[in-house]
Amino acid sequence: MRCVEAAKALPLLIYGEMSFEAEDELESHLENCPDCRQELVRYRALLKGIDETALEPSPELLLESRQRLRQSLVSARSSRAHLWDRVREAFTIRLGPLPSAFQPIGALALILMGFLGARMIPAGSAGRFDPAGLAEPVVSRVKYVEPEGPGRVQIVVEETRQRTMKGQLNDQSIQRMLLSAAKDPADPGLRVESVDLLRTGPESAAVRNALLYALQHDPNSGVRLKALEGLKASAGDTDVRQTLSQVLLTDKNPGVRTQVIDLLTQQKEHRMVGVLQELMRKEDNNYVRQRCQKALHEMNASVETY
Amino acid sequence: MAQTAIRMDESALIRAAQAGNQDAFEQIVRLYDQNVLRLALNLLRSPEDANDVYQEAFLRVYRNLSNFRFDCSFHTWLYRIVTNLCLVALRKRKVRREETTVIETADGVLDRMDTVEEGRADGDPQRRLLSQQLQTRIKHVLADMTPRERMVFELRHYQGLRLRAIGDMLGTTEEAAKNCLFRATQKMRAALGDFV
Repeated sequence: MRCVEAAKALPLLIYGEMSFEAEDELESHLENCPDCRQELVRYRALLKGIDETALEPSPELLLESRQRLRQSLVSARSSRAHLWDRVREAFTIRLGPLPSAFQPIGALALILMGFLGARMIPAGSAGRFDPAGLAEPVVSRVKYVEPEGPGRVQIVVEETRQRTMKGQLNDQSIQRMLLSAAKDPADPGLRVESVDLLRTGPESAAVRNALLYALQHDPNSGVRLKALEGLKASAGDTDVRQTLSQVLLTDKNPGVRTQVIDLLTQQKEHRMVGVLQELMRKEDNNYVRQRCQKALHEMNASVETY
Repeated sequence: MAQTAIRMDESALIRAAQAGNQDAFEQIVRLYDQNVLRLALNLLRSPEDANDVYQEAFLRVYRNLSNFRFDCSFHTWLYRIVTNLCLVALRKRKVRREETTVIETADGVLDRMDTVEEGRADGDPQRRLLSQQLQTRIKHVLADMTPRERMVFELRHYQGLRLRAIGDMLGTTEEAAKNCLFRATQKMRAALGDFV
């Protein structure tokens, strides 16, 4: 293999897209060619650097997309229903108005049809009716299988059913569900919605702790911003102020840091000066720096520590 | 075992949605929608365009789900729809040039890309500056790639799909996808060589 061919094959080697023989040939070339080995190192560094440019949709964008889709689906369903109405209309046979004397006869005929129909339908078919209204399992997963004698097997299935709960925000079971959804690691959109509902609902120690937890630990900035909104009313409390100071110095999102400055400086408290000066020392976002500087000026404090 | 379980769950959901179960359809959306939005956002680098692709893709799935016959995986079928929509959007954009993400508002200049989250370099200011410069250059190289090169690179590098699956999705061969990937990485290497 020559260096020109090796250079062409390097990205495929990194992505694991080479055949066994081709990879083997390239590996032998690399063993004897320091330039190509160096090139491989550069390629690896380059592709690793590219990883940092990956974009992650914000929970607001995800939420907006889901809401817009929900509306579009509702109109798609209703236009489908209209189409069905038109088809049904086209196939409906209309009779003129019957004299009123025929009405009791018609009613009697309907009762008789119902009675005879019930006699003629086999009893087994009634079993398909589900009086409890329980839905079929939406998701099922085979947990394990085990042979059970000749020709038989035992299968353990894990089934998930969907249930709709409705209730007031101050209902304890509803609140419990929202508190748990606010920590669902798989779905940032769900966490944003849950935190948003919790912050608008009645205040309680559990809700306040959930908001503080989300502000400190949620990986998603949209969720953290919603939690901040919920903590506005209690921004004067010592424990909340302590958490806010910590978040100001550690949060990676400039939007969150800006909001925290606003909340912390609602009360002109001298011990906040040190926190703001510390932020000035490490902050690299111009807008956050400006806000911080303004807050320090308003508190008649110097921008830097000497 | 885990994969079998996922496939079984998914096909049960698809069958339920085909029979008109709206909840099942919603669950299918939830299974895939974050990945669809991420793919569209990374390809189009515009939250609004990504949202538009998301809407159109799932509406097409909704309208055509009854025609889905399980002759390929649902993932491939869905991604075929999404990648086609993104390719159309990228080709249109090539004609009317890349849009700027910066807009003027009453509160000052705003970057629409601020509504998306991006990996942030750590505290070292020099590393941060290098990372910002690198990201700007990468965005330019991505804009210079042909829509197909960009699509193959995105699907292989960021989404981690195999070239054979990418070929299936884009209606081409594995070899053609391999060539696209090579051209894309060459462009990256040529433009960003001095960073590594």
